[in-house]
Amino acid sequence: MDEIFGAPGQLLASTIRNATPLVFAALGGMFSERSGVVNIGLEGLMLISAFAGVVGAFLSGSAVVALAFALAAGLVFALIHALMCVTFEADQIISGTAINLLALGGTGFLMVSVFGAGGTSPRVEGFGEVPIPLLSSIPVVGPALFSQSVLVYLMYVMVPATFFVLFRTPFGLRLRATGESPEAVDTAGISVGRMRYYGVALSGLLASLGGIYLSMGILSAFTENMTNGRGFIALAALIFGRWNPIGAAGAALLFGFALAVTFSAPQEAIPNEFLQMIPYVLTIVALAAFGGRAIAPAAIGKPYRKE
Amino acid sequence: MSSRLRRALVDAGGALVFPLIAIVLSFVLGAFIVLATGNNPLTAYAALVRGAVGSPTAIGRTLLGATPLIFTGLAVAVAFRAGLFNIGGEGQLYIGAITAAWLGVTLGFLGALSIPIVLLACVVTGFLWGAIPGILKARFGAHEVITTIMLNYIGIYLTTYLALKPLRTEGLVPGTDAIDFAARIPFIGLGLGRANYGFLLALVAAVVAYLLLWRTGRGFQIRAVGLSPGAANYAGMGIGANTVLALAIGGAFAAIGGGVEVLGVYGKMTVPFVTGLGFNGIGVALLGRNHPAGVVLGALLFGGLASGAQEMQFSTDVPLQLTSVLLAVILLLVTATKLVELLFGKRARALAGARLEKGLG
Amino acid sequence: MTEERTRGGTAGVEAPVVLEMRGVTKAFGPVKANDGVSITLGRGEILGLLGENGAGKSTLMKILYGLYSPDEGEVFVDGERAEIRDPKDAVSRGIGMVHQHFTLIPALTVAENIVLGAEPRKGATLDLAKAIKDTEELSERYGLRVDPRTRVADLSVGAQQRVEILKALYRKARILVLDEPTAVLTPQETEDLFSVLKELVADGLSIILITHKLGELLGISNRITIIRDGKVVETVEASGTDEGALARLMVGREVLLRVEKTEAKVGGPRLSAEGLVVLSGAGAKAVDGIGLEVRGGEILGIAGVDGNGQTELAEALAGTRPAESGLVRLDGEDVTRVGANGRQGRGLAYVPEDRGAKGLVQDFSLSENNALKTYDEAPFSKWGWIFPKAMRRRAAEALRAYDVRPPDPDARAGSLSGGNQQKAVLARELSGDPGVIIAAQPTRGVDVGAIEFIHRQLLEQRARGKAILLISLELEEVRSLSDRVAVIYDGRIVGEVGPDATDEELGLLMAGRTGGEKDA
Repeated sequence: MDEIFGAPGQLLASTIRNATPLVFAALGGMFSERSGVVNIGLEGLMLISAFAGVVGAFLSGSAVVALAFALAAGLVFALIHALMCVTFEADQIISGTAINLLALGGTGFLMVSVFGAGGTSPRVEGFGEVPIPLLSSIPVVGPALFSQSVLVYLMYVMVPATFFVLFRTPFGLRLRATGESPEAVDTAGISVGRMRYYGVALSGLLASLGGIYLSMGILSAFTENMTNGRGFIALAALIFGRWNPIGAAGAALLFGFALAVTFSAPQEAIPNEFLQMIPYVLTIVALAAFGGRAIAPAAIGKPYRKE
Repeated sequence: MSSRLRRALVDAGGALVFPLIAIVLSFVLGAFIVLATGNNPLTAYAALVRGAVGSPTAIGRTLLGATPLIFTGLAVAVAFRAGLFNIGGEGQLYIGAITAAWLGVTLGFLGALSIPIVLLACVVTGFLWGAIPGILKARFGAHEVITTIMLNYIGIYLTTYLALKPLRTEGLVPGTDAIDFAARIPFIGLGLGRANYGFLLALVAAVVAYLLLWRTGRGFQIRAVGLSPGAANYAGMGIGANTVLALAIGGAFAAIGGGVEVLGVYGKMTVPFVTGLGFNGIGVALLGRNHPAGVVLGALLFGGLASGAQEMQFSTDVPLQLTSVLLAVILLLVTATKLVELLFGKRARALAGARLEKGLG
Repeated sequence: MTEERTRGGTAGVEAPVVLEMRGVTKAFGPVKANDGVSITLGRGEILGLLGENGAGKSTLMKILYGLYSPDEGEVFVDGERAEIRDPKDAVSRGIGMVHQHFTLIPALTVAENIVLGAEPRKGATLDLAKAIKDTEELSERYGLRVDPRTRVADLSVGAQQRVEILKALYRKARILVLDEPTAVLTPQETEDLFSVLKELVADGLSIILITHKLGELLGISNRITIIRDGKVVETVEASGTDEGALARLMVGREVLLRVEKTEAKVGGPRLSAEGLVVLSGAGAKAVDGIGLEVRGGEILGIAGVDGNGQTELAEALAGTRPAESGLVRLDGEDVTRVGANGRQGRGLAYVPEDRGAKGLVQDFSLSENNALKTYDEAPFSKWGWIFPKAMRRRAAEALRAYDVRPPDPDARAGSLSGGNQQKAVLARELSGDPGVIIAAQPTRGVDVGAIEFIHRQLLEQRARGKAILLISLELEEVRSLSDRVAVIYDGRIVGEVGPDATDEELGLLMAGRTGGEKDA
């Protein structure tokens, strides 16, 4: 059986592993952008959390502490972004770029300060695979989908959960409304600033799950710039998925598949680099085809200022 | 004439309000970080300054670091004058680098004569590459921030492919063949270490950008479109054409930057290639208020910090990445209009004439 | 005072006062948008608030809704002093507002829009079913037909307005303010709206209806308060007035100037339009078959209430907005397909109504603005280079000639007062010695001194044989400058009169009434 199903099974498992951080970050980006704050800092949010998680694990040896460290780091960096964009009315693109550079420089700095040298951190105990009884014994899909880390299962839950929050709760309605028309939200007596803080904070928490999965789910160590553009692929997934949780998760899976193929396919057929381009090319094509920003939240990118 | 001079000085002073506040705040924050590492901030900063301008070699290092940032900074600034955000400097620089790496070898037999040809080719490839997001915007309304980000990675992977497959050389370091020394941009000498004439090219590029924007009809249009699309349309200027041109010209600047890095510093394109020049160009441009002269100053600051960081790490044990943190904080603060207003009142903000409130629309 | 009773809507029964605004003053910089304004509203009454654009109606209502805070004055709701700091306070006092620019979210459904901020919940979740049910009930009760499940983006403008009203009713509004509700409606939709409003007042609501269309107020309102230049001019019973009287109250302003006008020496036709149809940004026919002709040496004035197609007419004639159909001729040549640049080259000058966003690049210097259209021509340009010195020299001359203060070519356009900005536009447009001039609202938001100067300039051009089309909301301006006055209404020219036409005549035309159907 393995000889027949081994390869596709492995490819599926690898797809899931590559897609998981993308899904988390894309869902995070969705909360931020649905509230009207562009978040091109997803890359930085993931990177700092990936690092913080490893530090937490290094100091305590506990996965729970590691997770708490990662969530806290993602939240703090997201709140910096919110402080800049919402309170100080800074440019959202610039702030996001700065968040990325801050995470890159900050992790580089802390690698030396905490671990004494740059490059790769000491190994820590990662999130092991936790096969789900019964489900994991389904042929092919079982091991691929249900013999993964807890974070992957959390990702499975998070997709419908974010959908529910966004479309079935008053909070979600208000968040969507804030990204579409802050003026209308303001006249309805809802604080635009507060909604945007919530949105950006949630993006930090979700992106940090993606970050820690990179450093402690796939690897068991932090290496400098280990996100290597995944934050931007997540952003691409968000746009390609048209700012919808299901769509974004689907796009993230597709892009995760492209990454999985990159890492496993024989080099000769299609050069790796072209596979790696897929997310970005598809996103540009989608943007051109959908007529640019007609589908983005209408008020995205604009600081809101009362008269 | 003297009143015009005075006005120019006041304008320049006003323009410097935001950058200076951002720089000062960032250094104050940096001092606390240094303290946290158990070092004396004054000692660390003294070493930083020494490492940036303390000796001819230090100055040479600063100039060397500033050179590509002037080009990527101009790439952002020119587009910004048309009201566009060019986040694509990174990819545009890579396109220029691979162009130079390929032609530098191919035309190496021409010696120094090949240098202008190669750089001109960089202008062409950068221009065409930069035009892509412009066309996507003018034709399909796809926002340039997103498309330039995506094109960064497309550019990086495309050049990586070219450097690793068709143009790969047999060597220990993966990358293209080394360019003949005769066909490289020569060092300045004067004890400035590895600083090369690329820096002078960068200054020339800044002058060209200035002349283009303020002394040509095309620049007049680009600035009018950037400041007031309504008035530009009223005056019969084409918004779409200027959008494409501004981004394409920006792409050309960044691409020469890549070419100069290859011809002047590395002599080839290695994988991985130098990263972050495009993104730091954004900081340089904003710090320089999107004016060519400001871009040069901003690039010198960035280059100086990077250069001084080595000395700082050497004489204290503050990791040199501190400067990356400082630069990120500067970028974070440089557009925080409301912060300046809160700290220094509305007058500072009015004086600085911040116009960064347009959002993604 | 608050015990005062007014004639209510229900057949002359004395109704209690539900709202009183007393002595409201609000200044923006040196301009008093409201100056001691007092109004009262009785239960079950429809009060019309009439005034020209910029008279201060919207400011007053924004104060009532807590969007602006007044400098002086008080608001009483049901006889009780009300401190209204934000829209939440207003809503809790039972005040609802339908803004001129809807505050709806196109991407959300009708029901979602209506409940936003006051959502029905089932546990922690949004009870969409209840939101839909509530919306349906309200919409049935008042005849405000709309499907709660539709996305607002897919609704007609009339239906969107119904959603806005439902939004206020859902928040239990007892006082409903409608800001220019008919500006965007077709006549049929207007009729529907009015029958809904009648039903609402029959149900005990009170309504303030803001408009600058005087005709429609007569049929629906009980009393009409007229506001001009931030002050209440008068409050009249709707039954005891007519359109002519309202028009006079609304636009009647002191004659600012007596211009000395020479006898017109009229030449041949220079600018003309035939069957011109122009679409607005929203895609409606803003100009609906206009024909006109301006001859050399005369000023043709276009009078009319704002929003009747003036903007689109000017832009289509100048070439900055395409014509849907019809012809534009410049000196006999068909220029319908010629762009703004080309028409400019053929001697057309255009003073746009929006100098802030169109006429000037605010962050350009005056010398750059002066060359905004000619930067690529000699002596400003050669081989693609531009010569700032030449621009500056020419600008300095033009600025002095047109009395722009400061006459400094390096000053930023945005730093000038409105009047001086407009003079700078005039300097650019007129110094090229154009044959035809389109001047749209040339004196809007401009101080008295500048108004006089601008008027003199236009008359001087007329004396030099230029053809001038003057589009203005200022009746007095149109009358004192023009040789002929055409009245625009709903995208059409409904009549042409001489400059000595009476206020009544003009008032009726501006209300869309042409001679024969006076009593229709």
